[in-house]
Amino acid sequence: MIMLIMKCSLLAMTLSLAAIPAVGAQGKKKSDSPVDSKAGQACRIVATAPWVKRQAEWFDESAPAWTNDTLRTALLRAAGITAPLTPPVQIGVQVAGQSRPLGDGADEMLAQLKALASTRGSAWPTKSVVGAAGVHAVYLLVERDSVLSRSALRRLMEAGPAESPAVDVATLEDRVRIQAGRKQLYGTQFRLDDRGAIVLAPMEDSAHADLRREDAGLPPFALGLCLAKNMK
Amino acid sequence: MRRSLLVAGSWLVIAVFRAFGQGGAKSDGSKSVSFAGDTPGREPKSFAPIVGTWVISKDAGKNVLFIDGRVWKRGQPAGGLADKARELYGARNEEFIESIKAFAYFPIAVYKGLDNFEGGDISVRFQMVGGALDRAAGILFNVKPNGDYLTVRYNGTEDNVVLWTFNNGVRKFVKRATETVPLELGTWHTLKISVRGTALQGFLDGKLLLEHTLTEPVSGKIGVWSKTDSMVEFDGFTVTPVVK
Repeated sequence: MIMLIMKCSLLAMTLSLAAIPAVGAQGKKKSDSPVDSKAGQACRIVATAPWVKRQAEWFDESAPAWTNDTLRTALLRAAGITAPLTPPVQIGVQVAGQSRPLGDGADEMLAQLKALASTRGSAWPTKSVVGAAGVHAVYLLVERDSVLSRSALRRLMEAGPAESPAVDVATLEDRVRIQAGRKQLYGTQFRLDDRGAIVLAPMEDSAHADLRREDAGLPPFALGLCLAKNMK
Repeated sequence: MRRSLLVAGSWLVIAVFRAFGQGGAKSDGSKSVSFAGDTPGREPKSFAPIVGTWVISKDAGKNVLFIDGRVWKRGQPAGGLADKARELYGARNEEFIESIKAFAYFPIAVYKGLDNFEGGDISVRFQMVGGALDRAAGILFNVKPNGDYLTVRYNGTEDNVVLWTFNNGVRKFVKRATETVPLELGTWHTLKISVRGTALQGFLDGKLLLEHTLTEPVSGKIGVWSKTDSMVEFDGFTVTPVVK
């Protein structure tokens, strides 16, 4: 009887996970609304979850307040952001070798960001300069370049949580650490194994992962793992 | 008779337990802090949290001291700062509070079990748990009534041990350790300082990494230190004052 219940539970879980909409490598969903699979409790993104609300708050651009609209427009175009961001903007799932396509002028913008990052005292595009979407565009661009990632991460950290989204900073820090041969801290980096399955890249101290992820505004670790393993 | 012995025994256990909670003195004069008698989720009994959220937490079933940077707010002292300052410095608490407010990016908790450290060894075990901006664990010493202090700290975002001074609202870098040492989160390590006169040494996991000659001998309270949004667990705080 117990075995039967377990088998039924496993079948239900498998079906519910299969029902989850596909999520892009940068946390950009193909649908515009948060994932809300009624069948799958474990793999469900709930719009009222604290981490989603926190991202919604940080990325809210209903009252535009950035100072450099020209740079912002160029950043969004280069990063391939064509529509307003909808939370959650960042689910913290990056699979090595899988990236969403960038937009027009990406190479030029990357060169511009490299020049900024290597110039001491230069004005880095932060939230007050290019808005929340502009800063996310910076993240989408810099994470493509391992050298730029390192210097950009420093600039993003220096800018602080009011000017840089903690979720992007955490995801980028993990990426930089993995690229440097170190273990990640937040559990946002994945790779494909020999059989093509998505597996978590080496990680430090997974026991406290949820504390760090909560601090960064990432989904709970179990949800992140579930979302990653069910990516198409 | 039997009941009396039982009651007396219970009191003795409680007395010993309390003594060690505040820092039980050993034969060599050292005091080690145990958090076993503290309540998880509450502030520690043996330390006065001055800046930041310092609470007792559980690690592998054992009570430890946790600086919880998740709730760190820029420039926000710990709750009840005035009362704690009064407890530590009496009439001079105003001066202490003003200075501490200038350093409110740096969580500190002052050890209640020793009024004046003028030399000797202080060690503490720490485990970095998280922090986006910083993952810092430090030993606080030479804490003056005006709020000035020294700290030797390890920061996991820089992988190094550094001596800092905090004077009149200004933080100044003094000396960096000879090498960087990356430490993994979720692993316990020991930070130790040894002060003899003006000679200061800093150790990480028993390895001497920092040596510096201070401008004057130390004299003041001691404790633990952290930075901004660090999440770090502390345990095994031990002080062995120099016997004069």
